[in-house]
Amino acid sequence: MDGDIPAPLPTTVDLRAEYESSGVKELLDDLDHEMIGLKPVKQRLRETAALLLVERARKSLGLTHHTPTLHMSFTGNPGTGKTTVALKMAGLLKRLGYVRKGHLVSVTRDDLVGQYIGHTAPKTREVLKKAMGGVLFIDEAYYLYRPDNERDYGQEAIEILLQIMENNRDDLVVILAGYADRMDKFFESNPGFRSRIAHHIDFPDYQNEELHRIAAHMLTEQNYVLTEGARAAMDDYIALRRGQPHFANARSIRNALDRARLRQANRLFSSAAGPLDATALSTIEEEDIRASRVFSGGLDSGRKEDAA
Amino acid sequence: MRITQGCFSFLPDLTDEQISSQVDYCLSKNWAIGIEYTDDPHPRNTYWEMWGNPMFDLVDPKGVMMELEACRKQFGDHYIRFNAFDSTRGFETVTMSFIVNRPKVEPKIRMIRQEVDGRSQRYSFETVR
Amino acid sequence: MNKQTEIKGKDRYKAGVLKYAQMGYWDGDYQPKDTDLLALFRITPQEGVDAIEAAAAVAGESSTATWTVVWTDRLTAADQYRAKAYKVEPVPGRPGEWFCYVAYDLILFEEGSIANLTASIIGNVFSFKPLKAARLEDMRLPVAYVKTFKGPPTGLVVERERLDKFGRPLLGATTKPKLGLSGKNYGRVVYEGLKGGLDFMKDDENINSQPFMHWRDRFLYVMEAVNKASAETGEVKGSYLNVTAGTMEEMYRRADFAKSLGSVIVMIDLVIGYTAIQSMAEWCRANDMILHLHRAGHGTYTRQKNHGVSFRVIAKWMRLAGVDHIHAGTAVGKLEGDPMTVQGYYNVCRETFNPVDLERGIYFDQDWGDIKKVMPVASGGIHAGQMHQLLDLFGDDVVLQFGGGTIGHPMGIQAGATANRVALEAMVFARNEGRDIKTEGPEILRAAAKWCKPLEAALDVWGDISFNYTSTDTSDYAPTPSASS
Repeated sequence: MDGDIPAPLPTTVDLRAEYESSGVKELLDDLDHEMIGLKPVKQRLRETAALLLVERARKSLGLTHHTPTLHMSFTGNPGTGKTTVALKMAGLLKRLGYVRKGHLVSVTRDDLVGQYIGHTAPKTREVLKKAMGGVLFIDEAYYLYRPDNERDYGQEAIEILLQIMENNRDDLVVILAGYADRMDKFFESNPGFRSRIAHHIDFPDYQNEELHRIAAHMLTEQNYVLTEGARAAMDDYIALRRGQPHFANARSIRNALDRARLRQANRLFSSAAGPLDATALSTIEEEDIRASRVFSGGLDSGRKEDAA
Repeated sequence: MRITQGCFSFLPDLTDEQISSQVDYCLSKNWAIGIEYTDDPHPRNTYWEMWGNPMFDLVDPKGVMMELEACRKQFGDHYIRFNAFDSTRGFETVTMSFIVNRPKVEPKIRMIRQEVDGRSQRYSFETVR
Repeated sequence: MNKQTEIKGKDRYKAGVLKYAQMGYWDGDYQPKDTDLLALFRITPQEGVDAIEAAAAVAGESSTATWTVVWTDRLTAADQYRAKAYKVEPVPGRPGEWFCYVAYDLILFEEGSIANLTASIIGNVFSFKPLKAARLEDMRLPVAYVKTFKGPPTGLVVERERLDKFGRPLLGATTKPKLGLSGKNYGRVVYEGLKGGLDFMKDDENINSQPFMHWRDRFLYVMEAVNKASAETGEVKGSYLNVTAGTMEEMYRRADFAKSLGSVIVMIDLVIGYTAIQSMAEWCRANDMILHLHRAGHGTYTRQKNHGVSFRVIAKWMRLAGVDHIHAGTAVGKLEGDPMTVQGYYNVCRETFNPVDLERGIYFDQDWGDIKKVMPVASGGIHAGQMHQLLDLFGDDVVLQFGGGTIGHPMGIQAGATANRVALEAMVFARNEGRDIKTEGPEILRAAAKWCKPLEAALDVWGDISFNYTSTDTSDYAPTPSASS
């Protein structure tokens, strides 16, 4: 509150030290450690961190005064880690001082767009107020725009969003996420968004080998192990599943494992004659995986992903 | 006449930055913030008009400040106050309240005496502009 | 300590004198029930008196025992009516003193009667010859018993709603001089204090209806002042009208008159007695009135560490009896009280559950069963320059009363009141902003004094005043330096 004379600007900046003291290094190391694969994404995140660190350093030397545009788009198929990386991004922005609180508010069209006249603006504003100081993650953002219906309330949400993205750059960062091709179309018809998005990060599908490691990682966290046969079955499963509808990368793997655990429990329950030891309780056998309908032609019966 | 309701009326009028800092404090305590306005500062005028419902689950004061801005646009010459609500069992009421906007010319409150019995008076108040 | 055992069977009721422990007032294996009342006594037995026997005597004399065996015990379920001393331990660092824990069955007490409760627990035992001294340190009141009391008529939450004051401590001042002002002069002081920024003014404990000022005069002038100040500020204001008098009839008469004049609060003194306090609480509940209790006289039995009743116990009784305000000490002012111990009293008034906290003198978990909360009052030798310490020690739910610190202000009473209010609001504001008021307090006050002349003057006059005397009533479990050191 006191009107003291401002301290003189520093004349040098030690980027390496800032990188460590801000906690950015720690966060990126964590990311490397926790997330399997995603090489190009991690690379992009490092580049973004470097840019923001330099931008911050330039500001501290008085070389720049405005806040850079930080809104982003994350494109990629489901289950490729977009939400997880968004969380990390929020942490990164917080550590570098580009957002005040660093929380992530994740929404879809239904959270922003109302059902009747006058409903949308308050709904969108409500979400925006909660996201202030953090990151607003809009999944499948293209659903906001429905070119076939010119009176669609989504347009109202878009206008409010654009205004906030422009005027409140110090207050929140918006990440639009979804399939790459649909996002491209969305940006074509909404140049306002295109011009306000500074960073595009593309999330590639996981390789089979990466998905296998993800499976192993998930199981370790839950204290389960695969037998030799089950491991081979998992490899086959991944290769087959990829070719079937509704494939969702890591999410499909998680669901497959949930099912396998269910079958394991059933197997133990119906077959066990005597007492079971810890090994028996935590071992997933080949049959627990091979029983999946993925091996019998897949999900064409109309059942969705969760039936994997 | 400067009405001194609320917990910061004896300080110079708060800047938006100062208001934000207090909202931040409220949010850190998980209190919801309600914005209310009135042109009648009578001490027993309990129910000022609500500028929307109290805001729950906010993380950053900016959301509240946006609403204040909107409220000021429409009721800039009214009193506007922030009420913070604590839902903790055993409290469950307003837990902090302060004025964030005042009319350019504040009204006066007049005390009216009514003779009752002997020298006893019945006192009432009236807002005068 | 000797091994003490209860004598059972036909020998127990032989005519003659038995030791209390032998009569069954000591049971080292006893597990207190959830519905038992528990009491912790600090006892100093006479030379040569065994601590366990002394503890058993305390249990005995505060429940069913008399000095000799009586056969009429056998007409009752005597085993259950006997209080049981169940733990005795030496007081750390105080040779000759013992803490003794006693459990009482719920049936021993009448519902909703502090008089009955206290007649049992402190009725007899404090004069008992084998003890040099005894002090009731703490009590655990089971929820089952708490629920038989109605508690504070208003409670601090509803009080704030009625006053429309939230987010900061309330401010008050006692009208001074205590004695001698005429009604008209008295009301002047009230008006100046309230208009200057205080929420409450207060009658002192011994302002009743003396020759220089009849109580009706005081009430009439004070209410004129209160209402006029309300109109000048737009705030709800009040002045504790002391209705203490010689009889209940007279107290009701005075309280009714206060109500007819529109006062939000009346006041009583602790010396009117527990039953009178409960009756006034009853009246306040029926009349939407806040009840202020001045703890006049408590120092005669609360202050000395080895004998009497701890104030934390009085505070517990008063919360049950039903008062809305109670003077609970300042820690930094002119009256007795070390900071941790005083915080313990505040917790007793304001928390819904007191966990054991030996450093603050809380020896039992106490579940208050949703009974309302009492607003503690800090009063006596405090001034604006201590605002940071007071806020840090006591938080928001407290009435801070600056009597001399308001009325003795060199620029006048209004200026004194304004200085206090500005200091308070500036400190609350700074704390909320995240500043460390404990260390930055003086700086925060000086910054506010730059634009507030009355505060500047107050700091210049009183800024350095502190009362650094060692407290007598301190915690046995923590070093407790004076807060202002």
